[in-house]
Amino acid sequence: MTDLFPILLVASLGTPLAFLAACFVKGWRRQVLALQWLAPTPALATGLAGLTRAPLTYDLPVSGFTLRLDPPSALLLAGAALLWIIISAAIWRDRQPDNRWGLSWLLTMTGNLGVFIAGDLVSFYLLYALASIPAYGLFAFSDDGERKRAGAIYMAFTILGEALLLLAFAMLIAGEPHGSANIADVMAALPTSPWRDAILGLIIAGFGMKMGMIPFNGWMPLTYSAAPIPAAAVLSGAGVKAGVIGLLRFLPLGLPLEGWGDALVVMGFLCAFYGVAFGLVQQNTKVVLAYSSISQMGVIMAAFGVALVKGQAGAALEVGFYAANHLLVKAALFLTIGVLAIRGGRLSRATYILAALLALSLAGLPLTGGALAKIATKAQFAGGAEAVLATLSSIGTAMLMTHFLICLATSPSGAAQECPAGFVPLWPGIALGAILLPWAFYPAVGDISYAFEWGTLVDGLWPVALGVGLALILRRIDRFLPRVPVGDSIVLEEAAFGRLLGIGSSFKALDARLCQWSAACVSLLLITLALLAASL
Amino acid sequence: MTPSVIAGLLGAALVGLGLYGLILHPHPLRKLLAFNLIGSGVFLVFGIVARRGAAAGLRFDPVPQAMIITGIVVAFAASAVAVALILRLSAVGRRVTLDPEVPTRPDGGDAK
Amino acid sequence: MTELWTTTPGGYLIVLAILLPLAGIILSFTLGGRSAERVALGSTPFGLALACAIALHVGRAGKPIVYVIGALEPPLGIALRADGISAIMLITTAVIVTAAALYARAKFATPDGIRESRSSLIFWIMLQSIWAALIIIFVSGDLFNLYVALELLTFAAVPLVCIDGRPETLVAALRYLLFALFGSICYLLGVALLYGAHGTLDIPLLAQRVQSTPVVWTAAALMTGGLLAKTALFPLHLWLPPAHANAPAAASAVLSSLVVKGSFFLTLRLWFYVLPGLSADQAAMVIGCLGSAAIIAGSVMALRQARLKLLIAYSTVAQIGYLFLVFPLATGAQSWSAMSWSACFMQILAHAFAKAAMFFSAGLLAEALGHDQIARLGGAARVLPLTFLTIALSGLSLMGLPPSGGFSAKWLMLQASIISGQWFWTLPILAGGLLAAGYVYRILAPALSDDRISLKSSPKRSQEVLALGLAMIAIALGFMPQTFSDILEIGRPIAAALP
Repeated sequence: MTDLFPILLVASLGTPLAFLAACFVKGWRRQVLALQWLAPTPALATGLAGLTRAPLTYDLPVSGFTLRLDPPSALLLAGAALLWIIISAAIWRDRQPDNRWGLSWLLTMTGNLGVFIAGDLVSFYLLYALASIPAYGLFAFSDDGERKRAGAIYMAFTILGEALLLLAFAMLIAGEPHGSANIADVMAALPTSPWRDAILGLIIAGFGMKMGMIPFNGWMPLTYSAAPIPAAAVLSGAGVKAGVIGLLRFLPLGLPLEGWGDALVVMGFLCAFYGVAFGLVQQNTKVVLAYSSISQMGVIMAAFGVALVKGQAGAALEVGFYAANHLLVKAALFLTIGVLAIRGGRLSRATYILAALLALSLAGLPLTGGALAKIATKAQFAGGAEAVLATLSSIGTAMLMTHFLICLATSPSGAAQECPAGFVPLWPGIALGAILLPWAFYPAVGDISYAFEWGTLVDGLWPVALGVGLALILRRIDRFLPRVPVGDSIVLEEAAFGRLLGIGSSFKALDARLCQWSAACVSLLLITLALLAASL
Repeated sequence: MTPSVIAGLLGAALVGLGLYGLILHPHPLRKLLAFNLIGSGVFLVFGIVARRGAAAGLRFDPVPQAMIITGIVVAFAASAVAVALILRLSAVGRRVTLDPEVPTRPDGGDAK
Repeated sequence: MTELWTTTPGGYLIVLAILLPLAGIILSFTLGGRSAERVALGSTPFGLALACAIALHVGRAGKPIVYVIGALEPPLGIALRADGISAIMLITTAVIVTAAALYARAKFATPDGIRESRSSLIFWIMLQSIWAALIIIFVSGDLFNLYVALELLTFAAVPLVCIDGRPETLVAALRYLLFALFGSICYLLGVALLYGAHGTLDIPLLAQRVQSTPVVWTAAALMTGGLLAKTALFPLHLWLPPAHANAPAAASAVLSSLVVKGSFFLTLRLWFYVLPGLSADQAAMVIGCLGSAAIIAGSVMALRQARLKLLIAYSTVAQIGYLFLVFPLATGAQSWSAMSWSACFMQILAHAFAKAAMFFSAGLLAEALGHDQIARLGGAARVLPLTFLTIALSGLSLMGLPPSGGFSAKWLMLQASIISGQWFWTLPILAGGLLAAGYVYRILAPALSDDRISLKSSPKRSQEVLALGLAMIAIALGFMPQTFSDILEIGRPIAAALP
């Protein structure tokens, strides 16, 4: 069996790549795209098998690439693969998206699965780019102005993030004395690297962009509201986790780093509350969920921050579990929007209860997967201010989720066309799975009996109840709340960007001046003189 | 004042005049003439270099002279190409100038 | 060291490589228009084979191969030398010239029954002349010889710019010619000064003799200034955008990907082969600053162009800027020097292939749509998927996203600037990548939208495949093995100085 595991690991990246290659065979494309739900199956198997194994690093021959799997990444890989399988299968079961969309989907899937197992800087960067850039095609190929805008903004943040990470990675490899690109090696060299602080700053900013960290949060609500339901589900579920795996891999978790840890905790909780506050004033369900993602990613960042402060290497698995839970629940919530829209007005009570359970699972309702996620990160948010802030954030999440449920029930949603009908019969299963599956994974993280203790149940229940209550009160004063444009700060950022574009015209004037004959001749003489002066 | 110095000064003067013309005269033909002036100046410098070879004990150094000849041929070829272009420009009935003055038509260039 | 001045085994290959296109030119002249195409197309495979043979020889021997013309040794005679960088450039040139020749058949072929035209005769002859001039530039070991080759290159490139005889192309060609002449006369003056000071123009001989004297530095400054003008380094780029944007697609590709690299190659020869022993950190810094300015200004200007071909031409101005960062990063014998050196050549190659593919695609687009306005590309990717795949792939390399040659180049450049402590170069490198993403996005985003667009004519599949092939090479460069940088170091003086 031990020999089989590396093969499985290679296959989890190789299978989607093989599907990609098959797309270029004439005549196969349509079938290959329709069958692409099969592509993540090895990844799922790898993820499940890797949960309980020792970390494995495998150097691919020839290419120089390295794959790496440890329990936290296995957890995320399994969750992501499951999500991709279910959603792809459901999409292609009852409609045939065009090839362009299908190819973007497959590319995003390949990158997204690969990024969890990439073990060296170059392949990580490659797969991270693959997980981010083709996703543009999932929502922005359109003549609709708002979608184009969302696409442009998504692309801008993605490329900016890539640039920051490129610099960080170049610094990482520059600090490694033997020039090895292996992530384990460069991370071992990081503590003594002369560029340590610059690297950490760039890493946090770069992956923070993917995770919707303020002030880079604006793209997320725009993207998710522009994306069709299944795309929003995988992007919010699996796509954003590329940022989480990035922090997992590139934060030196075993090393106590007070300054950076504290900064990350502050930033994380800021995002957590920011997401709740701005989500509560939104009415579009997809946008509310996007703000909830900003908030949840904030919690994850804060957990990383605490782990950094305390130097806990083991926190990776716990935070990974929290992220995996969010992966399942958030995707299921997006599908809920679509399914409820398709089914229209007459909905049974059971449907509502299931939707409510799912939503509140995110807030940590006892006996749901979310409660386990909260328990898993309890060690992080154990003492003092962090504990209070974490509880406050659960209350906030419960409020936001209640707000989401109210929006879901009241406001009409145009999501019916975006969501394949194939999700309708699947939905109860998906929702239950998202609530219960974390229980199956939890034994890899901690002791499950703790979740049933009386004290734990009470601890989990009261913030949720309080949050629900507050949200209901808030609904009374709803009309006094300010209306904030979707993506809040993005409006300011767009304005600033527009201002920046103004510089272009002065460049144009400068260029026109320099391109005049006499100016160019004089520049040539000046350059010659400057070179002479510099070398004498 | 040795002949070398005189030749050098002459060369410098030619280069200077040429530079002035090349930079400031608007008509391409004048620029071309100015370029040839600079060229002559540079060839004079080559001539001095040949004399310096003589100073090193040789009767004279043939290599710079060979270079001058080659250089003159090259400059001649260059002038020929430039003159041909200028002639073509005036033949198509356009004011002969280096100003790019909106060279593109709104429907783009390559369609023609 | 005497082996640098005696003919080595395999030296005859260099002569053959030069003679092949020269013979082609003469044959084309004598046989006339219809045959010129066949001669050019027929000679390209041999040229490619010769380039590969030279590379094999150089790689196997681990040192440059030399041919001393007429067995007359420098300083009086002239030696031809092919070292690692020559070998790489020879292959690149052969591949791109071959591709350009095949691509140009659609426009400049004169099959039986069609009247021969002057423009096609000129095209095939000039293409071969460019090729010949580039080969001489890559293998010549004598600075004056290089001057002649450089002039030959310019004279061959200028007619390609104005081959269709439209007035604006004539103006562009004239600007190009006159400014290049200004540049070459500066170079020539520098050559004269060097000869006057040291009595030789043979590169290794000169490298032994030069000292840090004002004459040498004046000569170096003049030569560099002239070469920068010919390479169109910002702010000396006035001639490049109109010239490259107005030439026919096949010619633009050759001009942008190869011709500007010729004079750049010579700049490298000057600083890293003639003057390697002299420290010129500040001059290198000046050049690096100009390169950075080129990256930023060129990219910003590319973002603002309305015509696709002008956008691509300004992108060349920007991509050239990256090359010049090698000067501050690769001087001296430090650990990062070799890294920057490979980065520089990786950038040359990646840009050459990506830009040729871009210009080919732009030409196809202009043919198919009847215009090359970016604003009117809406929905074009649906009808021309292959062409836009090419643009996307070469765009990937220009942006520096993996896997691509452009990424490898920037990746190495970033590392080198960080290790060397010259971190400030990372800013233009990254900003250039962002801006490149911006202008590639400007092409692709409207093309990928759902708009409807009608084709005037559908492009030839063979041309599309050719462009795609070049873009694929630009991508494949990202997987270049270590031997690439080993080959580049062959014959590089500073590497020889290392223990």
